[in-house]
Amino acid sequence: MTSLDPAAEPTGPFDPAGVTWDRVSPRLITARLVVLALMLGVPIIACAIVAVLVTPWVWIPAGVLAALLLWAVLLVPRQVRAMGYAERDDDLLIRKGILFRQLVVVPYGRMQFVDVEAGPLDRKLGIAKVQLHTAAASTDAVIPGLAPDEAERLRDRLTARGEARLAGL
Amino acid sequence: MSDQEWRRVHPVTPFVRGWAVIVALLFIVAQQSFDGVPYGEILDDVARLWWVFALGVLGLLVVIFGYAALAWRMTSYAVDDDAAHLRKGILFRQQRHARLDRLQAVDVRQPLLARIFGLAELTLEVAGGTDSAVAIGFLRLDEATALRADLLARAAGVKARRSGTAPATAAAAGAGGTATATVGTGDGTGSAVADVGAPDADAPDGAAPDAAAPEAPAGPDAPADQPPDTDDAPAAVLAAPVEAPENQVYEVPPGRLVASLVRLPAVWLALVALVAVGVVVAVTRNVGILFSMLPALLGVATFLFNRFAGEFGFRAAVSPDGIRLRHGLLETRAQTIPPGRVQAIELTQGIWWRGKDWWRIKVNVAGYGIEGTDTQSVLLPVGPREEALTALWLVLPELGTPDPAALVDEGLTGDSRTDTSFTTSPRRARILDPLTWRRNGFVVTDRALLLRGGRLTRRLAVVPHERTQSLGLGQGPWQRRRGVASFTVHSTPGPISPAVHHLDAPDAARLIAEQAVRARTARAHQTPERWMETVAAVAAASGDDRPEQDAGTPPGPAPVRPEGDA
Repeated sequence: MTSLDPAAEPTGPFDPAGVTWDRVSPRLITARLVVLALMLGVPIIACAIVAVLVTPWVWIPAGVLAALLLWAVLLVPRQVRAMGYAERDDDLLIRKGILFRQLVVVPYGRMQFVDVEAGPLDRKLGIAKVQLHTAAASTDAVIPGLAPDEAERLRDRLTARGEARLAGL
Repeated sequence: MSDQEWRRVHPVTPFVRGWAVIVALLFIVAQQSFDGVPYGEILDDVARLWWVFALGVLGLLVVIFGYAALAWRMTSYAVDDDAAHLRKGILFRQQRHARLDRLQAVDVRQPLLARIFGLAELTLEVAGGTDSAVAIGFLRLDEATALRADLLARAAGVKARRSGTAPATAAAAGAGGTATATVGTGDGTGSAVADVGAPDADAPDGAAPDAAAPEAPAGPDAPADQPPDTDDAPAAVLAAPVEAPENQVYEVPPGRLVASLVRLPAVWLALVALVAVGVVVAVTRNVGILFSMLPALLGVATFLFNRFAGEFGFRAAVSPDGIRLRHGLLETRAQTIPPGRVQAIELTQGIWWRGKDWWRIKVNVAGYGIEGTDTQSVLLPVGPREEALTALWLVLPELGTPDPAALVDEGLTGDSRTDTSFTTSPRRARILDPLTWRRNGFVVTDRALLLRGGRLTRRLAVVPHERTQSLGLGQGPWQRRRGVASFTVHSTPGPISPAVHHLDAPDAARLIAEQAVRARTARAHQTPERWMETVAAVAAASGDDRPEQDAGTPPGPAPVRPEGDA
């Protein structure tokens, strides 16, 4: 699928030519926002209560936290939309990040095992996380926010392809 | 599992492993026995209380011996054609099977106390993360080396079937019998079946001297691989698996090691700090400041001593079973890294090694992981450039380029002004990386990817294409403004994480696309896990021409074990 013809220059380093990206589920946005709201919302409320009851100075940390939450609410949807993965014939591409972009190429034959994970919130929302492990600990190949059936399909497909191209270390 | 036979480790093992605990226990008992007795009355009390003390020691000894005997009885190991098995543990039993075709390295380790007893521990490294190694020990040194030879032979795919019941030790000399060694049977390579070393002596007479002779130049304290009475041809081949012959390639003299340590920045920093504190003490007349330096000084001293003791007497040899590394002052270690197990190589040169043109080489081997960084992952502690190149050729006999030495020279000391083959960071990356932008670069050969970096500490990482795990590309906001990106090769855990920063974005994109393809095609043609199977096939097909190996030349791609010498 990728062209090795130097004339067919890819448009950018993170968009190899001829690759169509699969997007992750938008429900991941909800999942991440719920977690963030819990993590930041509880301290905000606590600060607000203290501010009302004890001293108005505590409005400052509450405001900072609220600003952080607002920023996250704006950022998370873009982040999730920037995630993508693509199954090529021999390897899997995973892309993420807006400000700090990352692209990982994992050959199927190098895969040691595949994890599928879904926490209680993820299950409620109907998403799951697929993680690929190679012999290298530094391989950071995680696809969060897949629909459960897509996660299963991907898992089976990766395993099947991995077996077909199995190699040692 | 027909030839699987459980063997026990040496009875002294629990004491060698737990000597510190035993000494501590004895000390505590001794202390408790005299506790509360005023010193003046000790002499009187010794006469009265000696039996209390004796009883305490006796009880403790019974417990220790009981535990040791139990621990010893519960520990056993076995080796068959596919795996090494280890059973141990008293309350919590543990059984471990290590598949031999996944074997990454075999170490024979002798801690100081074990050396006194003439014992050694054999460690099979498999790629399974922390604590995945199978440690068989302690064994007598000759047993350990024989077992190592056996394991490597089996891991290599040279199937040795022994009819004798004796373990692979000197006792096996008596097991003349009907043993045969078969090379290259099964596993789809059925076309290459060759019975060698049959006991009815139709093997050529030259076989035995060939097998035994290369042991001679292996150095004065090379382990006694074979029992002395295996000079007659058939027994030598089939009784105990003969250690593959090895040729020493380089060694590091102690003088050079010391000189290299003195040239480490840590030493100079410590000295400067010491002088500074000395001045402060002289001015303020407060000696207390000196003691505040003590932890840091101790740290530096420990680091230096560990490096010196660990890398003392470093010798590297090449054998068909792979690279042999021996080193150590107090605790000695003999490592064997089979062919194709080195995942990445890195040559580094600190700023004060430049005058001597000394280089240090580390490797990533899957089994050694992060925790083996300072003890096991060193291929060359310090050596001049020729020696470094020799070490590199040991691991990568073929770099896949017409003039490998020139290419590596460029990788070691060149930069973008002198480059002929490296692709380097563009000039606009200068603001991101003012010091090293000229050095950042890569070059691709037919067999490997070379990544260069570092200005003060020069670095050159070499990753064979077939050892690439996965690839990564990263770009931060400043990098995007400058149109550059960083490229990473993910290798197995170890001291090396090969990467090259701030490449021109199109270069990086092309590199990651092409490298994925290259890694795939290289894997399709890589050496098999059982590295002697193809060799056996080749040997069987082409008769018995065994490549001669001289010390100092890189090993051929197809070295032959003595077993294959039919």
